[in-house]
Amino acid sequence: MARTLLCEIVTPERIVYTNEVEMVIAPTVEGEIGILPLHVPLVTVLKAGELRVRYNDSKDVEWFAISGGYLQVHEDKVIVLAENAALASQIDVDRARQAKDRLEQRMAQLKDESAAQADRDVCEVDLNWCEAQIKVAERRG
Amino acid sequence: MPNLRDIKQRITSVSNTRQITRTMEMVATAKIKKAQERIESARPYALAMVEVLGNVARFVQGASHPLLEEHDERKRVVVVTVTSDRGMCGAFNSNILRLTEEIISREGAEGVEVDVIAVGKKALSYLRYRGIEPIGAYRDISDKPTFADARKIAAQIIPGYSEGTIDAAYVVFNRFKNVADQKAEVYQLLPIESRVMEAAEEDLRITPEYVFEPTAEAVLERLLPTYVETLIFRGLMESAASEQGARRTAMKAATDNAGEMITTLTRSYNRARQAAITNEIAEIVGGAAALEEA
Repeated sequence: MARTLLCEIVTPERIVYTNEVEMVIAPTVEGEIGILPLHVPLVTVLKAGELRVRYNDSKDVEWFAISGGYLQVHEDKVIVLAENAALASQIDVDRARQAKDRLEQRMAQLKDESAAQADRDVCEVDLNWCEAQIKVAERRG
Repeated sequence: MPNLRDIKQRITSVSNTRQITRTMEMVATAKIKKAQERIESARPYALAMVEVLGNVARFVQGASHPLLEEHDERKRVVVVTVTSDRGMCGAFNSNILRLTEEIISREGAEGVEVDVIAVGKKALSYLRYRGIEPIGAYRDISDKPTFADARKIAAQIIPGYSEGTIDAAYVVFNRFKNVADQKAEVYQLLPIESRVMEAAEEDLRITPEYVFEPTAEAVLERLLPTYVETLIFRGLMESAASEQGARRTAMKAATDNAGEMITTLTRSYNRARQAAITNEIAEIVGGAAALEEA
């Protein structure tokens, strides 16, 4: 059996996933990154998008939608700290779409008014999260 | 002489109340457990967060970031006051509001303006009554706070601090010590205390060199706001658990008191009933005696 690394996906509310895997592919702010066992210790910033893990001799793959966060690799242990994370098969696409519509309207409103930048930022993060969910669900659901 | 029917009515009314308080006690007991589990399941994230922060801090020696720097002058501070949406939980809310008042008057004495962000209906109505208009109001989240709520609150503070319009931020909440004990506490959110970074550095002296992408500074820049959000989230969750704990204690006391009251009332009811019977017998005996004499 191939050498594995322990992958943990953690959100502030719960542990979403924990498993021995062979490869983690994550969306960082500088592009996708693939992590194999014996990777050098690393801390990086993630953006909203698709994260996937391969395991069981790369026969099985699991997809996740994540909102932005952080990833730390240390001694064959990958910790993903994300504000939100969901398994592709468990994404509620309809809800994400509705939320996206609502957020787009709100975003338009915020652009009109001279609203605080902070409100726009919060809105944008939520919007990115919805888009990531929809994208992952459509491709992998 | 106390009226028999009046006493009977009071007994019924008190035992109805007891029924309600007992139910509330049981509901609170069940909710404490859930709230505690939520705190528990947030622990891995918080721990990992501190670990990453420590790694970065160790790498960026003498890190400088707007959120770490203390402002020379204090002109305006923000207090996040975390209360509940509902009452019936003893001194839970009044402790928090008293602490908030203390901060307002202490800072006010030094000429510092205090803005309040109110979490929970109780804080909102109290502040309005006092003529203080909160700069942010969050209702219906105290029962089941989410990280998104914490993020919204943080977004009201962090940019202001970086730009220099806010010089400090605190959160006032009930810390959940155990089921029976909650303590109102003030925690400093901003500036992020340097001891947080130092402690994290201590723990991690033995860890290897990390690679940072894009750079350690960039990671730190993103990490610090998230750290503040995590602190607020923790405050909200502790408050949610404390609320149920306080309610359980208060409702248990109320149930016990109602029981005592029923005992006392039943005793005086029986005494009154006995007196009435004695009185009747005396009348009958008196009447019979009068007849015999006739």
